[in-house]
Amino acid sequence: MAKVLEGPGMGLMKKWGINVPNYVVVTSVDELSRLGQANEWLKKSKLVAKAHEALGSRFKLGLVKIDLDFKAAEAATKEMIGRQVGSITVTQVIVSEMIPHKEEYYCAVKSTREGSEVLVANCGGIEVESNWERVKRLCLEIGQAPSPESLEKLSKEAGFSGPLAKKVAEFAGKMFACFDSEDAQYLEVNPVVLRAADEELVALDAVTLLDGDAKFRHPDWNFAFAAEFGRAYSKQELEVMAVDSKIKGSVKFIEIPGGDTAMLPAGGGASVYYSDAVVARGGKLANYAEYSGDPPDWAVEVLTEKVCSLPGIRNIIVGGAIANFTDVKKTFGGIINGFRKAKSEGKLKNVKIWVRRGGPREKEGLDAMRALKEEGFDINVFDRNTPLTDIVDKALQAK
Amino acid sequence: MSILANKDTRVVIQGGQAGVNAARRMAEFCYLIKRPLNVEAFVYPPDAGKSNEIPYGSGLIAIPVYKSIAEATKHHPTLNTSLVYIGADRAMKGGMEALDDSHIKVVSMITEGVPEKDAKILGAHARKLGKVFNGPSSIGIISAGACRLGVIGGAFDNLVLSKLYREGSFGVITKSGGLSNEIIWICSQFADGITTAIGIGGDAYPGTDYVSYLEMFENDPQTKAVVIVGEMGGDLEERAAEWYGAKKRRVKLIAVVSGFCQESLPKGMKFGHAGAKEGMKGEGSARSKSDALKKAGALVPPTFGALGPAIKETYQDLLKSGQVKEPVEPAMLPRLPKTVEEAMKADEVMVSPLIRTTISDDRGDEPCYDGYPASELINKGYEIPHVIGLLWDKRLISKQEAEIIKRIMMLSADHGPCVSGAYATILAACAGIGLSQSVAAGMIMIGPRFGGAVTDAGRFFKYAVDSKMSVDEFLAYMKKNHGPVPGIGHRVKSLRNPDKRVKELVGYVKSLNIKTPCLDFALEVEKITSVKKDNLILNVDGTMAAVLVDIGFPVDSLNGFFILSRTIGLIGHWVDQKRQDSRLIRLFDYLVNYAAPKRREVPPLK
Repeated sequence: MAKVLEGPGMGLMKKWGINVPNYVVVTSVDELSRLGQANEWLKKSKLVAKAHEALGSRFKLGLVKIDLDFKAAEAATKEMIGRQVGSITVTQVIVSEMIPHKEEYYCAVKSTREGSEVLVANCGGIEVESNWERVKRLCLEIGQAPSPESLEKLSKEAGFSGPLAKKVAEFAGKMFACFDSEDAQYLEVNPVVLRAADEELVALDAVTLLDGDAKFRHPDWNFAFAAEFGRAYSKQELEVMAVDSKIKGSVKFIEIPGGDTAMLPAGGGASVYYSDAVVARGGKLANYAEYSGDPPDWAVEVLTEKVCSLPGIRNIIVGGAIANFTDVKKTFGGIINGFRKAKSEGKLKNVKIWVRRGGPREKEGLDAMRALKEEGFDINVFDRNTPLTDIVDKALQAK
Repeated sequence: MSILANKDTRVVIQGGQAGVNAARRMAEFCYLIKRPLNVEAFVYPPDAGKSNEIPYGSGLIAIPVYKSIAEATKHHPTLNTSLVYIGADRAMKGGMEALDDSHIKVVSMITEGVPEKDAKILGAHARKLGKVFNGPSSIGIISAGACRLGVIGGAFDNLVLSKLYREGSFGVITKSGGLSNEIIWICSQFADGITTAIGIGGDAYPGTDYVSYLEMFENDPQTKAVVIVGEMGGDLEERAAEWYGAKKRRVKLIAVVSGFCQESLPKGMKFGHAGAKEGMKGEGSARSKSDALKKAGALVPPTFGALGPAIKETYQDLLKSGQVKEPVEPAMLPRLPKTVEEAMKADEVMVSPLIRTTISDDRGDEPCYDGYPASELINKGYEIPHVIGLLWDKRLISKQEAEIIKRIMMLSADHGPCVSGAYATILAACAGIGLSQSVAAGMIMIGPRFGGAVTDAGRFFKYAVDSKMSVDEFLAYMKKNHGPVPGIGHRVKSLRNPDKRVKELVGYVKSLNIKTPCLDFALEVEKITSVKKDNLILNVDGTMAAVLVDIGFPVDSLNGFFILSRTIGLIGHWVDQKRQDSRLIRLFDYLVNYAAPKRREVPPLK
């Protein structure tokens, strides 16, 4: 799943005929000032300025300012750009037109196992979250598009009537078209508002999750995907992602500040069981990592260097199930090189390493790991006869 | 018995190299269970009409590659299963093609990164046709003792260790490829092994879910219990729980779910497989899944590590109730033949080498010349002449010797376009011939009359010096036995028009404090011959030869110095012509003396 920020998200909605407010995304006040000279609406309308970053609770952080004139919008932009929130620096601000309205509604389309669901409610904003039962849904099979009649029925079920029911149905139809055509996994507009000026429905906010795997058939996806967990990716994470995009197989790395148990396990399935085991034993994860699909040894080496560089770690868990086709000797070769490099840079002091693995060339790989003992590493190596996550128990018991 | 994959499964593999690798693994399994290879065809348009060679035992089996599934099933009407190894952008088309063929009943997609929508369309299409679409991102399906689809099961040794050569009593369904192997191994150690293990893939919406396979296992009398390895995200585990709890089931269900770590992670932080994403309202969490499965009556060990004992307990119950009997292991299992390299490593065979080398080795991380790593030579200031010394004479020459070789090479690198070698290269270049062939054309000219006299000159001068001949004796010996002295005489240069290159080289070598018996002798020879005829001077070949013999190079390597040096010039001439985009050239008639008979009438054929 790939999260898309509001600007490009609204761009996609506009592409499919959904009314969105006028908006600009800027990286500096200067840019906004110049845009103000080129676009009359910026001077004429009341404006909203929001930090255009993957941040939760922007309102609370003072990163959403409403009811601004252009001067105030410039001031808000100036104030927001460069602000540091956790690991994120605000680099973009989205300035959009305020739409005077009375009513707020809700509309979303989400992916389901069978196909998708269109969700509609005749309340919006925070009201919909506390009144979830007012959300009505239309379930669709994959390959099936909603008929105008079924959407109108849905809209009436949700409590709309008269010409508004038809408008809501049309709006939902466009949302579905956007969802289906853009390989979206989740689209949400909250609120949908009735513009006072022309009685048209307008999307005031967009939550857009796209299927990153479908990027190959969307040449116009020229925007970057945002991190999904409410913070920007760190430099180390981005470096591993850059390696990941270049190789056969994959390497993944996410930092969790404050932990002391570093993870360097293999496989998308086993890695989570290893993380579970750490948490279950009362340990604190310092990161998530995985390598899988027989990645080249240099990629595993890069991943290893990142793991060894995590601050304050006491154990490294080099776990893994019995591989199908990942070459244990080769991938361990990458890990060993990473360990040696880290050690030569003065890292890994008082860090215990725990290894468990099976798979093609497991004996050679495990022997190579065992040999690290002679180089002064504090390393404990186990084979397939030790159950998968037992090394976590041993690591967290050893004081 | 087993489900999905059995002894009658006949496979077509859609895809290139990844598919061939899978076929190799499948052949290892077929060999282990003493069955013929179950892969009959490949579909891969770029290689259509060719065949892929798959090792089976110690032999190779050629499996044909077709353009389309229709073509494959036409030639192999027993095909009933397709494995898809096509790239994510074309996977849906390939999967559809297989599903739409009436012969194919099961399609398993290994491809990762397939768009969710495509996977849903494939799954729905298969259900409509009453077929099975497994995956995407599936590691494969394996039925012990019967059939392997894909690389599931891992290396040959693991197949044996995990007792996959004979049936057990446990069915396995996992999302994770690596964990499928782990569970198969656990089932073989804590119980009697597996019937069938299926990787359904880690995507959010796999084509076939746990319930469909649970239903199949329920109907397979050999399967007594099923192990599910679940993950947070989606609702597949909840659906499995619902199925299990709905009525009394014959099979026992054992399940673990991963993702409990989620509860103590920073909010919104997620990882693992694509499908491992918690729902918005907390649904799909590891805990809710685990609870649902427990409630439905499944055995849910608290951790992955407790899975082994749980499986053991179930197996002991089955033994006690007489539902299963202790398995009988076969007395002998086939062993995978070793490759020659493996057998050599294990000291099991001796091979007489085909060639022998004494100069270089690049089996390590970099080439070694006569044992010295190239990078170390560079870093310690050695240069090209030293590499020549190592590769041609297996010794590290001195700085002074290297300087002499460098000068020889600089002096012989080129001699203009008119000499035979350069002219031949230019002629070829103008005819549009490529670099290596054009340079080779120039090389061919190097022989007794052009550039190829160095070795012979060196040989004879050395012979004379070694046998302590006087110049007169030498000239008499040459005249009697060999003819003109190689290294003496020049087509254009003479005593009055000396060859500057010779002067330069002789001057430099004489300025050094080294013994040069051959060069001295050659210069003495010149004194006599040049008196007889003005152009019988010591030429550059002769000078090089004498000097190189004096610094110890073996006679047989001497022509190499001219060949190597002149290659620099020949390459230059080719590049020069290429850069100018020169036209094809031919001789002008006026440059030819037509001495052939005048035109005349052809007599009648007798």
